Amino acid sequence: MFNSLKPTLVAAAVAGSLVAGSVNAGESFGFGRTATAEEIAGWDIDVRPDGLGLPVGEGSVEDGEGLYEAKCAVCHGLFGEGEGRWPVLVGGQGTLDQDRPTKTVGSYWPFASTLYDYIYRAMPFTAPRSLTPNETYAISAYILYMNEIVEDDFVLTNENLGDIKMPNEENFFVDPRPDVKNTRCMSDCKDPDSIMITGTIGGVTPVSHFVEGADGPAASHEEQHALEQAKEKERLKALGVEVEEESHSAKPAELSAAAKEGKATYEGACAACHGMGIAGAPKLGDQAAWEARIAQGMDVLVDHAINGYQGDNGIMPAKGGRMDLSDEAVANAVAYMAESSQ
Amino acid sequence: MAKIIKGPTTRELMSQLASESEGLSTNDRRDFLRKGIAAVGGVAAASVAGTATASDALLNSNNLPPNEPTWGKQLGHGVIEYPYGNPSKFESDVVRRTVPWLTAESISSISMTPLHELKGIITPNGLVFERYHGGVPTINPEEHRLIIHGLVERPLIFTMEDLMRFPSESHIKFLECPANGGMEWRGAQMEALQFTHGMLSCCEWTGVPLRVLLEEAGVKPEGKWVLAEGADGAHMSRSIPIEKCLDDALIVYAQNGEMLRPEQGYPVRLLNPGWEGNTSIKWLRRLEVGDKPWHHREETSKYTDLMADGRARRFTFVQETNSVITSPCPEKPILSPGMIEIEGLAWSGRGKIKQVDVSFDGGVSWTPANLKGLVLEKALTRFSLVTKWDGQPWLLQARAIDETGYVQPTLKQLREVRGVESIYHKNAIHTWKVANTGEVTNVQLS
Repeated sequence: MFNSLKPTLVAAAVAGSLVAGSVNAGESFGFGRTATAEEIAGWDIDVRPDGLGLPVGEGSVEDGEGLYEAKCAVCHGLFGEGEGRWPVLVGGQGTLDQDRPTKTVGSYWPFASTLYDYIYRAMPFTAPRSLTPNETYAISAYILYMNEIVEDDFVLTNENLGDIKMPNEENFFVDPRPDVKNTRCMSDCKDPDSIMITGTIGGVTPVSHFVEGADGPAASHEEQHALEQAKEKERLKALGVEVEEESHSAKPAELSAAAKEGKATYEGACAACHGMGIAGAPKLGDQAAWEARIAQGMDVLVDHAINGYQGDNGIMPAKGGRMDLSDEAVANAVAYMAESSQ
Repeated sequence: MAKIIKGPTTRELMSQLASESEGLSTNDRRDFLRKGIAAVGGVAAASVAGTATASDALLNSNNLPPNEPTWGKQLGHGVIEYPYGNPSKFESDVVRRTVPWLTAESISSISMTPLHELKGIITPNGLVFERYHGGVPTINPEEHRLIIHGLVERPLIFTMEDLMRFPSESHIKFLECPANGGMEWRGAQMEALQFTHGMLSCCEWTGVPLRVLLEEAGVKPEGKWVLAEGADGAHMSRSIPIEKCLDDALIVYAQNGEMLRPEQGYPVRLLNPGWEGNTSIKWLRRLEVGDKPWHHREETSKYTDLMADGRARRFTFVQETNSVITSPCPEKPILSPGMIEIEGLAWSGRGKIKQVDVSFDGGVSWTPANLKGLVLEKALTRFSLVTKWDGQPWLLQARAIDETGYVQPTLKQLREVRGVESIYHKNAIHTWKVANTGEVTNVQLS
């Protein structure tokens, strides 16, 4: 259909001088223009296993340690063990053919280039594209080191990244499907007495929208997180551990002008952790969690938010990793969180 | 505090009824509350929600024949009250839902389409399942660009206006996450159709064939793969073989007659018909032609299929033939004995659905179903079988066959070859257990 139409359309367009003069052949529509080398370079961030695409640069395991702890550990854990449901980065060797395999960079990933590529394009989660190439080399080196793929004095560069051999590389193969062959049997296809029925375990899925009185997980991530936290508190209480209770104000917060300004920043930059209270982050609206923090004074809170802070329960990365945010924007977001949690 | 989900107490129900009756006239209110009180007993006795007893009793008989209902005795709202219309407020239950414990949080997560509520084969734009790796970006289409570069004669940059000047094509195709059903390799655990099969939607997609754009740029002979990359915070990237790019891959800017929804990649996305949804990069900003694949995170760490022996399949692109019965299902139990239409959806990433069979006895015997409406390549296809239910238990299954002759396999067959840890591409025959009450539950047979 398309092919038969194309010559006619182009002919008409050219004959009518409807297309600006860049059409150089009857086969081309000529829409769009040539992309400049500069335009391409800004977006051409991809890296291949053979190292094609890597920018000139280097980073050491040593430099990577500090960067990892400041920018990655909040979700992936100090040892790459993964906080909550965030990805585990380290370990799992020898588990791939076992029950409950653990797929990590060390146990599963076939190429080291993928590590550089993914960190540079998408990490840290709350601040993608904020890392320099050298920072990316360093963090990649540190993750390789934690997986015992390189030594502690290793420096990862654009020259040597393509030479790193990952332990699991040879265990990938191309899709062989269709790999099963069923037939269209219509009757007496199996012995009715051989059928064993395994049911669902109740309470695994949120079904309160159609099952009255259903006792199951919550329907949103926020509610589910609260449910799990409540269960954990019950467990700790049963063990005799003193736990901090969450408390919420009944009245809606009256926000200052700064706090109103800060709401959008909170949603785009802070909510990933503070919305649910993951990785030790005080949760928006939790009076108990915020009370002691607010008591230190807003200057201290804003300073911790801008410059980073190592707390007992977790790490506040500087500006939550969003170094593109102005100090004022961060201060406003802190005002929004604090005022919403009193 | 956590929200504890439990059934309403009589007192709660009464207070709910009282608040719902606000705004009614005195007579209506009295009648409403009287009916409501009658309903309390019904609700308490019912084990399945939405039973006829409870809902009938909640109705206002003043709106039923022979009375003239309230909406017939007054005027409704005029034009442009809602410049962009919404579904009726009585359809507020027809929404996407998620299973929160599957993912760490909602920004890199998935939601499912309410397949049990859909009619025909088209998924309305607001109900298409969501899958994000870095949330939904807000993209100004005037500032969005698509660059094609790499092994091409002429690298190109397109504005949205440029892309929409090309002759357009529209195709109805399904879109499915390869993890659809992937939570059930080890056993049944999802208690609703929306969660067992809802990472699946079908739209009419409009755009320009990728082939046309690649012809404009002129692919060099050594160009064998294309890297597609998104403009979102995740900059999602996948390597696509050139054969697919020159076959039916579509650069899409519209779905179901309107511009793409932000959730679906506004202003422009890639669509690889019949292939795992993850390859259909949303918020598309860049296509690079190369001689080898890139082996990026979403085609190594994720979206590879781990076998029982510890080895893993890569580039498992095709969504193989699959089907599921959508009525009855856990959300749509059988209401009463008598005539019933068994309905469902079938689809194949390799082409058209040729045949669907239904079994009532867990696969011992099969009855051919009818395909109804449009039967299109790589699109959802609706099937139907009218029969009678006398209150006997059923082990209800559907089995689809596509035009290549591929017969949808049993879970046992898949497990024998792949084990239970491959997460993706579980296209096994699905079983609903129908109890003599008409209640439907998700089970697996061995």
